Amino acid sequence: MLANYGFTNDAESAARSKGMPGVRVVSTKVPCEGTVIADIEAGIEEAWNDIIIALTKPATAEETSPKVEKTQRPDRVIFKGSLAEVNQFFYRRGWTDGLPIIPPTEEAVTEMLAGTDLPREHLLGKLQSRLGKATIEKIAINAVMAGALPTYLPVLIAGTINLVESEQGFMGYTTFGFSTGSWAPFWVINGPIRNQLNINNSSGAFSPGNIANAAIGRAMGLIIKNIGGVRKGIEDMGVMGNPMKYTMVIAENEEESPWEPLHVEHGYRKEDSTISLSFPQTFLQHYPSGSDAESILQSVIDNITRGMRYTIVFNPQTARNLAREGYTKEKIKKYIAENKLMTATQTKIQSNIIVVPGADIQQSSSETSKTMPLIKDYRFIRVIVGGGPGAFVAHLIGGGPTPGKKEIQKIELPKNWEKLVAKYKNVVPIYAKY
Amino acid sequence: MNSKTENIFEVLSPWADADPVPYRGIGTRITDPAGKKIGLFCNTKRVANPTLKAVESRLKQRYPSATFSWFFNTAPNEAIVAQPRKGEFEDWLKGVDAVIAAYGD
Repeated sequence: MLANYGFTNDAESAARSKGMPGVRVVSTKVPCEGTVIADIEAGIEEAWNDIIIALTKPATAEETSPKVEKTQRPDRVIFKGSLAEVNQFFYRRGWTDGLPIIPPTEEAVTEMLAGTDLPREHLLGKLQSRLGKATIEKIAINAVMAGALPTYLPVLIAGTINLVESEQGFMGYTTFGFSTGSWAPFWVINGPIRNQLNINNSSGAFSPGNIANAAIGRAMGLIIKNIGGVRKGIEDMGVMGNPMKYTMVIAENEEESPWEPLHVEHGYRKEDSTISLSFPQTFLQHYPSGSDAESILQSVIDNITRGMRYTIVFNPQTARNLAREGYTKEKIKKYIAENKLMTATQTKIQSNIIVVPGADIQQSSSETSKTMPLIKDYRFIRVIVGGGPGAFVAHLIGGGPTPGKKEIQKIELPKNWEKLVAKYKNVVPIYAKY
Repeated sequence: MNSKTENIFEVLSPWADADPVPYRGIGTRITDPAGKKIGLFCNTKRVANPTLKAVESRLKQRYPSATFSWFFNTAPNEAIVAQPRKGEFEDWLKGVDAVIAAYGD
């Protein structure tokens, strides 16, 4: 196996996780994702002796009969110390996102588990890449660390199910976890739970300041890290990284939307609560040149960049303006898909980069002067309503599930839900008046 | 906070249990590529193909009697053994003496 030297750890981890720890990985200086043939050949030349050795050196006993590692089962109680000591211990183990954590004591975890009727040991599945067991207790522990309230636990359980059942391959969780693309999980919450948890869907919906938006995304990030075992620079090979990985959570502003909410589009009842998942890499905002439908949609089209899934977040006022001119969510998606064009030359260049499932790149070189749709299927676009008063529109562009594959999960609530909501409902910031 | 009155926390591990993955060993190595059929396993990453072409070219120069067979995994980020082409891949493996794969990164 030939790998760039920056990917050697990733390659060895992948081989071990697939049960082949003896695979010989030759570290090369072939440039990552490079295209200059001379550089590639130089990288091979420099590694040539190692390549021949890897090909011909007799296999050792360890390589032909690797010893199976013991079950990785750490102690349940892992440490005892002060707040600072706990934080340093967890940070040094690589168990945090770099920010301080709340110590997951037995008492705090027990309180968190009030958010579900499922037993602690209930297994939701195994999370890539190390196939860690996603039990309810481990989810609750990571939730405590993130500063989540017990009422968030049903959301985190549904989010974890979303990850476990995510499609394999380029459009799913595995790509987000293992790609160079720095994809970040983006969670959209729908249904009554939005208001029960005070998830911000209005002014500054993507900004910090609301515990639910902050802690739900953060907890999911810790679950991916500590249950999935996705390590930065080993499995997660994002070149640039992405600040959205700290948290990217929004509730759809269903009350001010002229359209059916996202979960109803997916066949759920309005009274159901759901969490949906995609993996954008880019977050951008733009200011339409006018508030009529043509101006709004032209601005949306002008600001669409290449991706695999697209979520457009219209503020309520802009959504109402579009609806007034007869635009439904579906009509908007179709309009964007039909009118976001790029030249065949651009698509040909793009086709040399990588296979992108959401894009139509089947164009012959003789037709390079033609334009063609960037997005071959309008179902690759999602439209939601969020944000506060004003004109700005937001795009989240990047990865996400193939339409029809797993992207949304119903949130199941415990029997004591109303009581639990009442207990934590007033945990909201109350700003001083000045 | 005074260290004498500082709270002490006994904390639970967030790190998940994981069952050990059954290990398989690598196959017998060839001692000399001369006269052997070398498999070149190529994924979708754009540097994989030119990397393996460079390897093939150099091997051809050094071992003119070696022959080569390519296999392309065209599904990004999907293990070939998890795809419907698993059988095709396994048949291909039986027909080669050694395999060189390019990670593509």
